Amino acid sequence: MNNRTSTIGISTFIITAAVAGQATAQSTIPAHPDDLQFEPLIFSPPSSADYRHELPGDIPVYMAPTAEFPLISLTLTFKGGEYLVGKADTGLGSALGSLMRTGGTTSSSPSQMDEDLDFLATQVSTSVGRTTSSAQLNCLKSNFDESLVMFMDIIRNPAFEQERLGLWSGDMVESMKQRNDDADSIMRREFGSVMAGDHFTSRQPTLSSVDGIDKDKLSALHQRIFHPDNLIVSVSGDFDPDEMMKKLTQAFKGWEGGDAIPEPPAPQPVAGPGVYRIEKDIPQGKVMIGTRSITRDDPDYFSFLLMNEILGGGAFTSRITSRVRSDEGLAYSAGSAFQPAVDYPGVFVAYFQSKSPTVALANKIIFEEFGRIRNEPVSPEELETARQSFIETFPQSFSSRDAMLGIFVSDEWTSRPDGYWQSYRDKVAGVTAEDIQRVAQKYLDPEEMKVMVIGRWDDIYAGDENGRATMGDIFKGQSTEMPLRDPLTLEP
Amino acid sequence: MPARLLVFLLLVACLGTTPASAQQVEVEEFVLPNGMKFLLLPRHEQPNTITAGWVAKVGSVNERPGITGISHFFEHMMFKGTDTIGTRDPGRDKDFRERQNQVRDQMNALIWRKQYDRYFKGEIDDPWDAANDTEELAQLRSELKTLMEEQQGRANTSRIEEMRSQLGAVQDEDTRNRLELAIDEMKVEQEAMGTVIKDEFDQVYTRQGGSGMNAFTSNDVTFYFITVPSNKFELWAWMESDRLDDSVFREFWSERDVVHEERRLRTESTPTGIFQEQFQAMFWIASPYQWPVIGWSSDLNSYTYEDALDYWNTYYRPNNLVGVVVGDFQIDEIKPVIEEYFGRLEGSETKPPQVVTLEVPQMAPQRMAVTGDVQPQVDIWFQAVPFLHKDRYALEMVAEILNGRTGRLYKTMVEGEEIASTAGAGVDARKYGGAFTMSAEIKGDATPEQLEAALLTEVELLKEEPVSSRELQKVRNRVTADSFRRLQQNFFLLLQLGYFEGLGGWEEINEGPARLQAVTPEDIQRVARKYLNTDHSSVATYYRSEDAAPVDPEIAALDPQMQAMVKQALSQIESETDAASLQDGLRQMEAQASQAPPQFQPALKFLVKKVRERIAELEAGE
Repeated sequence: MNNRTSTIGISTFIITAAVAGQATAQSTIPAHPDDLQFEPLIFSPPSSADYRHELPGDIPVYMAPTAEFPLISLTLTFKGGEYLVGKADTGLGSALGSLMRTGGTTSSSPSQMDEDLDFLATQVSTSVGRTTSSAQLNCLKSNFDESLVMFMDIIRNPAFEQERLGLWSGDMVESMKQRNDDADSIMRREFGSVMAGDHFTSRQPTLSSVDGIDKDKLSALHQRIFHPDNLIVSVSGDFDPDEMMKKLTQAFKGWEGGDAIPEPPAPQPVAGPGVYRIEKDIPQGKVMIGTRSITRDDPDYFSFLLMNEILGGGAFTSRITSRVRSDEGLAYSAGSAFQPAVDYPGVFVAYFQSKSPTVALANKIIFEEFGRIRNEPVSPEELETARQSFIETFPQSFSSRDAMLGIFVSDEWTSRPDGYWQSYRDKVAGVTAEDIQRVAQKYLDPEEMKVMVIGRWDDIYAGDENGRATMGDIFKGQSTEMPLRDPLTLEP
Repeated sequence: MPARLLVFLLLVACLGTTPASAQQVEVEEFVLPNGMKFLLLPRHEQPNTITAGWVAKVGSVNERPGITGISHFFEHMMFKGTDTIGTRDPGRDKDFRERQNQVRDQMNALIWRKQYDRYFKGEIDDPWDAANDTEELAQLRSELKTLMEEQQGRANTSRIEEMRSQLGAVQDEDTRNRLELAIDEMKVEQEAMGTVIKDEFDQVYTRQGGSGMNAFTSNDVTFYFITVPSNKFELWAWMESDRLDDSVFREFWSERDVVHEERRLRTESTPTGIFQEQFQAMFWIASPYQWPVIGWSSDLNSYTYEDALDYWNTYYRPNNLVGVVVGDFQIDEIKPVIEEYFGRLEGSETKPPQVVTLEVPQMAPQRMAVTGDVQPQVDIWFQAVPFLHKDRYALEMVAEILNGRTGRLYKTMVEGEEIASTAGAGVDARKYGGAFTMSAEIKGDATPEQLEAALLTEVELLKEEPVSSRELQKVRNRVTADSFRRLQQNFFLLLQLGYFEGLGGWEEINEGPARLQAVTPEDIQRVARKYLNTDHSSVATYYRSEDAAPVDPEIAALDPQMQAMVKQALSQIESETDAASLQDGLRQMEAQASQAPPQFQPALKFLVKKVRERIAELEAGE
């Protein structure tokens, strides 16, 4: 059935197909995968209420037991994160996340704690993220009780031992020294600043901010975030739910509450649209093109989601990948992403990296695609593929217990309306070609884009040998050179 | 102390209640009449999805100079479709492909003969660069480009681009409409000429709810995988058996550009990529592991359709393939589907050839020193053993003892001496050879040489003293817990089953943990003595290039306005060779210190310190 070695074109194909049909007379293999018939997959998303319990003090607990493996995974999620830290103390959140776990407790030295946890093969991690913070425990169920005691000691009584703080800040300085080594890390930092201005999402620690971190500041932030009035619990693994409630009640006993946490501030970018460039001696130019988009609960969310999918979010099937990578071979990775935030408009970004002379061409193609999705309705096939992709992959979001619990916790923290997931597929199915064109026109204004380019600017500006594009084609050839900031002070 | 001991005993007692050997996964294994093996693992813990994939037991180790990177290139080709998927006209599409192959073969013949010759004579810097094309070559290159654009339905791209650029200047509406009409006609014309349905393979999966479709190529295996809704297993069987039956290597030439970009992205634009590639080339002496998976650039341009076909017929036969399915299904439901779809693949009488080149013992230490935009660090690689070797387990335990927050490397180098920010060890066990690896990155003023010495000190300690029973127990406990943790995700299960099978046997997933548990302190000492010797080692030391060096942290901490002044003063201090005049300066500075405004104090303090250091240096030199 292998016709690869045949030299005649279409006739061979037909013969082969006919032979295939004969050879397996009873075969039910259809000629094309679109002809396959599938049993319907009936799926209704789980309701968080079925998994939700409450501990004394109204602490929500989501539980999903399973006896598949003798492991228990316990997560405490707290509201609040880096946005609670002032600019002068940037890095304090990261320090707190690290030092709760590594800095010992009031009754156990750091090395004793490390040794005890490691000997039990118990994993404990604590982290302060941008908007939420967490503590996670993963252990064999046979030593859950001992592990829980240590876990709660870490969360409630951290000691922030000086030597470990010194170790943390030393490591931080070493990682800061590497900030300009990799173009991608320069891109993350500088693009973040251009998109958000001075905002907690774009700040990075400096030598002086790290130097200023001390035990008092760590304790203050710890008390502000890690308290039971600011907590949602989730547990999965091999346990009995009633017993777990008792153990958690016991573990949280006497834990003092605290004040409510404010919402994160919105970014206030100062950089206007245009091209921003940073010189770096690498054979590829790296490019990100961004603009502010919408919040997660915006009525345009589903239209934006599908618009992005068709434009550049849907891997090979999307327009940007198809043209920049498949048609022209200009990049290995090219596409777009849509990252809505809960409390303020998120960012839409298109990206690629290409050898210096073809950066301008790839960039031009992406701007053409911005224009096309604004000026023409998407095709019915594209729309159908995008819709079906979200609808058909939907059950997968709830497939693993940990993923499901993660959704419940996040939804409760961000007050997602009831029934959101129950109507998710209908909302996807309801998006029309007109909706997509409308959001593209509303949000993807080429004149409002911020384009950041890292690489060898002179080669990049000149464009390709066939003269198809130069960087002079956009924003009237104007660009702003940004200095490579000192990696330790972040001063220009 | 007695209280601690009690806790310790309790912990040991608790662990005693867990099974000493890990949970077994119950894999259904069977082989189709054509030789293709399948491993099925039903798991209903993650409902509504099936993660499925297949492994071709081929990687860069099966290549030879001239076709390096072809395994990885194949991975790209496998997404380009068949006579059914990816084309609206298989006959004309084949015609396009054959004409492209003819043109490109002519080009390659010219390049290998004439351009290489010019390159060897020093007349051109790169035989493959289009900028160096002869007239004849440029003609062929343009012909090839035209053929590719015609096939893709983009034959008029450049003319349309040209007309569009004129459009902006046109004021007259009639002319404008005429131009736009002409552009539309050209679009229709080029689409009619094209035969390719772009990325149809991806589209079919996407609209049916396939997700995470991807593949990777390693030194030893090539692995293709995706997750589909649990009611669509037959879709997977259709798509995968079709591309195994009938891949046509569409976009065989244009895809090279994408792989070159991938090489630039992963290897050439990262701080250490290109150096790690050359380190591998140094470490492996005789073994085909010496070339990179992505291939050398010149080879990447060179392989022909015949090379590819030969490779396909040798390594992509059912007897060299293993299908793996994990997820929410019943064996008796999917087995007939597998038999029907994959049963149609044509079997082969012959097995792929053995890789006959054995690695040779290294007789003397090898070193390379790198300067670049990179954190100073060191890599030490020792010649060790292949995946199936019985000593691998003891070497894995050596790495376990060295790694982790309470492991020896962290405790001595990161926490104790504070010369490293990170330090680790590992076993890189491949099908036909292996390495024991150690690495560390510096902290503060430490040097790569200091790190190297510290790593080797730990190696010597392992040889001299048996590990304590508590230390070994701690590592064993971790092995037990991890043996469950690594079975929790379908995708990770699939990867392990396929990868282990590719390297020698999927049973490793069940047997590995028990064999690790059985390693004794004597085993550890024995393998450390046998393998971890500097005569069989390759070392790479990395230094930060001066122009990329960040400023002295102490200077950086000063007020930015103060920094320039301090730097200038510092260079004067460094160049001063007369200790007496420095002493004078020092006295003046100290006298001024009390009167200087507060914002000058930190800078002054720093300079006083530097002057003192310089004086001490000069006096020591005398």
